[in-house]
Amino acid sequence: MSFVIRQIAKRADGGDIIRTRALPGSEITVGRGTDCDIQIADLGIMLRHVRLVQLPGGRVAVEALGGVPVAIDGKFVSRADLAVVDNPAIDLASHRLLLSPHEDGSIAVTAERVIAPVDAADAALETGIFSLGEAMPSKRAMAWIGALLVLLGLLGWPLLHFMGEQTVLPGAMITAATQPGKSPVAVAGTGLVAAADKAAFTPDMVWSTGGLSSVHASLSNNCGACHQKAFVSVTDGACQACHKPDALPEHAAPDRLARGQLPETGVIGAAHRQFGLPAGRCASCHREHEGPASVTTVAEQYCTDCHAGLNNRLPDTSLTNVPDWAGHPQFRPRLVAQPSATTPLFRRAVLESTARENSGLVYPHDLHQLPRGAVANMAQKQGLKVGPGGALGCGSCHEPDADGIRFRPISMEKDCGACHDLAFARDGGTLRTLPHGKPAQVAGIIRDFYLSRSLAPHVDRSMPGLQPIAFARRAPGRLAEAEAIDLGLVSPAQARGRAEAAVAAVFGAKGLCSECHAISSASGRPVVAPVTLGDHYLTRARFGHKQHRIFDRKTGDAACVACHTSTTASKLASDVLLPPIATCRQCHGAPAARLSGGSKVSADCNSCHSFHQLLEPPSLPPRRAAFAAVHRRAGFEG
Amino acid sequence: MATRAILRGKAVHGAARDTAHEGFLGHRHARWAKVAAAISLIAILAYALHDPLPRPNGGTWLGYGLGSVALLLIIWLSLIGLRKRIVTPRPYSLKAWTSAHVWLGLSLIVIGTLHTGFQLGWNVHTLAWTLMMIVILSGLWGVSAYTALPQQMSANRGEMTQPQMLEAIRAIDRQLDSAAQPLGREDAGIVRLSLEQCDIAGSLWQRLTARQPACGNRRALDSIAARVHAQKQYGRPDARLQQIQFLLERKDAALSQARRHIRMKTLLELWLYIHVPMTFALIAALAAHVLSVFLYW
Repeated sequence: MSFVIRQIAKRADGGDIIRTRALPGSEITVGRGTDCDIQIADLGIMLRHVRLVQLPGGRVAVEALGGVPVAIDGKFVSRADLAVVDNPAIDLASHRLLLSPHEDGSIAVTAERVIAPVDAADAALETGIFSLGEAMPSKRAMAWIGALLVLLGLLGWPLLHFMGEQTVLPGAMITAATQPGKSPVAVAGTGLVAAADKAAFTPDMVWSTGGLSSVHASLSNNCGACHQKAFVSVTDGACQACHKPDALPEHAAPDRLARGQLPETGVIGAAHRQFGLPAGRCASCHREHEGPASVTTVAEQYCTDCHAGLNNRLPDTSLTNVPDWAGHPQFRPRLVAQPSATTPLFRRAVLESTARENSGLVYPHDLHQLPRGAVANMAQKQGLKVGPGGALGCGSCHEPDADGIRFRPISMEKDCGACHDLAFARDGGTLRTLPHGKPAQVAGIIRDFYLSRSLAPHVDRSMPGLQPIAFARRAPGRLAEAEAIDLGLVSPAQARGRAEAAVAAVFGAKGLCSECHAISSASGRPVVAPVTLGDHYLTRARFGHKQHRIFDRKTGDAACVACHTSTTASKLASDVLLPPIATCRQCHGAPAARLSGGSKVSADCNSCHSFHQLLEPPSLPPRRAAFAAVHRRAGFEG
Repeated sequence: MATRAILRGKAVHGAARDTAHEGFLGHRHARWAKVAAAISLIAILAYALHDPLPRPNGGTWLGYGLGSVALLLIIWLSLIGLRKRIVTPRPYSLKAWTSAHVWLGLSLIVIGTLHTGFQLGWNVHTLAWTLMMIVILSGLWGVSAYTALPQQMSANRGEMTQPQMLEAIRAIDRQLDSAAQPLGREDAGIVRLSLEQCDIAGSLWQRLTARQPACGNRRALDSIAARVHAQKQYGRPDARLQQIQFLLERKDAALSQARRHIRMKTLLELWLYIHVPMTFALIAALAAHVLSVFLYW
């Protein structure tokens, strides 16, 4: 009964060193302690770890001594009885004991380190400790993941969406686009913007280079509405899907527009031609994805590119070249050259001191603007709008229109009639008034009146209430009563004679009509010269009177006169009372320091002009058309 | 400089080499710094004189110009990854290339940002700009690390090389292993903490802070020290434990040195883990940026 111990140690070159010794006796101990038969230098092993006892019949009893179990063929046990012929293996921490039969009935115990010690500085280990590779995912992996995430998420996904997109234009936007007069802000207030805020996300929104203008905001998730074809710049067709050409008139006839444009030259021109981006597209001027107010903000240079030297390319143009605001020519208002009830003639003339208008009206502005005198007295008595000085107020006749841009057309009944009363008699309680603008009826009414007086002679003459024709200006009905005279008509013939005399007086040189109108006669009948009042002098521009109601710290009539300076001195209706462009330049384009507000006032083209403007002003307003029709029927052609 | 250092009585290492040395930043009298400054200045001037309406953006002629320059620069800058793997001397030495890489890369802050026209948003275009800035700033961090850290590393490591640091720790381990052989199970278990549960480097955070509060060696040292202290209350402490404590303390010092070294090495390397992957994400974002701009022209 004995054990043969074989302890195997590794050499530096990889070879094994086997030390063999025989131990007599039937029992051996294994452990870290120096008193053990097999000493194993491993701190994981107890000082006395296990005892092997040789039993008869080729068997060995294994007993763990320190209470730490041993692993035998993968199972942890404190005690075991093993057959040596099975070559059992006992694992103790880093070491393994292999039992096998040896000659002469003894048992061979082979002790070998099976788990290599952490030892020997090798290059790989050093790299792992001192460089970051072990603690981080590899740079290569991160690069791949990052690049793929970006490519798939921000290129592939939107691309898939783009290819499968079915564009539906929002109906509300198309409706709004047909209202060209409405300012974008007004349209934006219709709820289109609010709808855009809630717009659902679509993948291609990540391609947007910036916020859309407020009017287009609801297209934010509808890229295909404008970007219809890949690699093709937004076409006019895409714009006109909503902005119908009828709603946005052409700036000029297409062929003239094409000829008038400044041809693009140089690298940029070549690039634009190369990529199919001709000038004159909607997108040439209207830039999108530049923030809320962008799409209607058009650069001044887009206008002056063409208009600076327009007459070089369009020799027959009636427009004057405009290099910039400082070089803007004097205004050329559209003046009435020949008044007519139906076909008035207009002519554009440079606004100079010699400029005259022929409206057909007799009207001295100076008289009507005097702070004292008959006009002022009448205005005050009538309760009309008067200025601080007591003069008739500008707004008494010039009433702003709904947009606050221009003025409601002047109407005789409304604007002149309060003072220039056409009442000619009071008959009982009835005030008899001549109709304005109907000369034939005026004559008829006068004749009828005299005739009726002659046929009803037995009127109680003590009764007040029947007054003669007395066309002195007065408050309606008042002065007439004081001038009551007995007409004393005895026969229709006498009445006819008096009537004709009255008609002649009304239309005569010093008559009622001649106060405001030029009267001539044709074939013995009086002809009232037609009147055409200019209602839009700067037809190519828009001057917001409402925006200018405070000027140079003045308000009310003082603000009006601050620009229309010659008004108070104007004796003739033919005077053109428009302020010259120098008046505009007092603020527009002036250095901010010179302005009372301290901030610069814009001098952009589109402060006054609109590219998409009707070429000719609209036809006569309805009121004047009706007036013209009446004049025509009455035989008073201009 | 070297003379002044001598006058101050400090040791000067390789003084002759120092005077001959010219770092990549100042290569050839800072040639590339001047080039980059000139490019940036031209870009700023052009931007200031250019007055597009409604506002500057990447789609004007200047915008396209700046964008093209920026794109070509980015591609060239990323090629340093290929270039550094091929070591050639003049005329385009790696040092010259690195100098140009750093300075032209910095000028990209100006070029790329002016290209945006300062219009930033939540989109692929701004993502490309953001990635570009991350790449540049991480590069700037790298340059500053390369400027400041090597001196500190030299000071920390003394004359030791990295393998020597590891070998020192292992030598202590072997001594600990031998010294612990006679100990009982409990004491041996404590020593095993130091031998088996002591990670020199550890996680990224542990590398960056050079602190491992749960380090096996620290725990073992604390336990053994407590035991020795307790034994001192009643008489002479176990000499074997005292020896173990001494070894654990030596190991603690060796570990601290190695970890400080690792901390600085980590700082020297970490920026690249941002710089390189972000560069590839940037190139992908640029592809998406350029393609999408022209797809939705």
